[in-house]
Amino acid sequence: MNIRFPKSIRILALSLVAIGILALALSGVFTSLSRLVVSPLTSLQTWVSQQYQGVEIFLSASQDIREIRQQNTELEAENARMQAQIVELQQQLVEYKILSALLEFARANPEHKYIGASVIGRDPSPFLNYIIINRGSDDGLRRGMPVVTQNGLAGRIVQVTASGARVSLITDPVTRINVRIEPSRSAAVLTGSITGDITLEQIPQAADVNPGNLILTSGLGGNYPANIIIGQVTSIKSRENDIFQSASVQSVTDFDDLNIVLVIINFDPIDISPLLPNAETP
Amino acid sequence: MSVILSIPVLSFITVLQSAVVSRLPLNRGTADLMLVVIVAITLQKSVKTAWQWSIVGGLLIDFFSGLPFGLFTTSYLITTGIAFHLRERIWRFSFLMQLLVVLSGTIIIHGLSMLVLFLQGSSFQFSTVLQVITLPSIILNFMLSLPVFLIIQDIVQQLNPPE
Repeated sequence: MNIRFPKSIRILALSLVAIGILALALSGVFTSLSRLVVSPLTSLQTWVSQQYQGVEIFLSASQDIREIRQQNTELEAENARMQAQIVELQQQLVEYKILSALLEFARANPEHKYIGASVIGRDPSPFLNYIIINRGSDDGLRRGMPVVTQNGLAGRIVQVTASGARVSLITDPVTRINVRIEPSRSAAVLTGSITGDITLEQIPQAADVNPGNLILTSGLGGNYPANIIIGQVTSIKSRENDIFQSASVQSVTDFDDLNIVLVIINFDPIDISPLLPNAETP
Repeated sequence: MSVILSIPVLSFITVLQSAVVSRLPLNRGTADLMLVVIVAITLQKSVKTAWQWSIVGGLLIDFFSGLPFGLFTTSYLITTGIAFHLRERIWRFSFLMQLLVVLSGTIIIHGLSMLVLFLQGSSFQFSTVLQVITLPSIILNFMLSLPVFLIIQDIVQQLNPPE
């Protein structure tokens, strides 16, 4: 049996039920019930929210890491460029110091004309003390021209090509240079050796030579201009029965670190071999 | 390995020897890069032109050196002969052979250099030269031997792949 109420009564009844529910809710009857339902939902929501935040942090952090890595790469590249620049500047500074020292030497010895040259190689044999420079006959260089550094004598040119020259250092075994010992003004002969040591020979027994005395070219023999510093006496060997004394010499030039040298171009070596007593006469 | 190829390759080795290797001494001794390269080439069984490489390398170093012309060529040819002699008889332990031949070559070059300088009037003590120049040179040559040998072996295998 179906009982159908008029529409207005149904609306009124529903309204009364709604008002009743509201009244009960406001009076706190539903509180415990709502807690029972809401609490697990809140816990679930908290867990979901935390997971979401974790994912959000992970996604944003990976983007940050990518940015940091990119920045790091750029900074490393910049650092490498700066390092290369520092090395280049240090090299330029060394060259500048050498050049200014060479300029000082040239100013202090204005009687000579110089050409600067870079050392581009050494003799392949460890038994010879030669260097190869990047100036040759095209630059006016000739065989026999003396070569100096900012400190003193380095050697002389023994072979010239159009664009390069080979310089025999004073440490070479074939070196024979007439020198003067200061302050005694005694004459002696400086010789090189295979091991790169240089010694003074043929020092008269009467000569007063002491460690620390200065060695300069004497100009005798015509191979080198006079008064170029070579080095200092470090020790003397003198025996009563010998005709001459000999001495070890410390060169003022560091031959292991030769990079730039000066060639004296207004000095013409004199070949005195025809004047020597054992020379063949026509 | 073509002889034509030897000219640019060994020219570069010569420049490297003069500009770099000779500037890195141990005591007064320096490495002989050309010797090490020529020995490494000679010890490769597939190389048929080792004598020619040896002559080209020797002539190039002779042009750069102040020692009498031909000294390096002669020394390298003798060393190549030793390397060939060993190559035909010992077919294993190539790297040990490299060291042995480099040692022989260094002694030959230094011996001839000392003889020439002695004849030219230079005076020196043999024991001092041995201690200050020859032994350090041998050590440096040994140090160069392994990388050079491996590089040359690799290049030769690339150029002449085994059939």
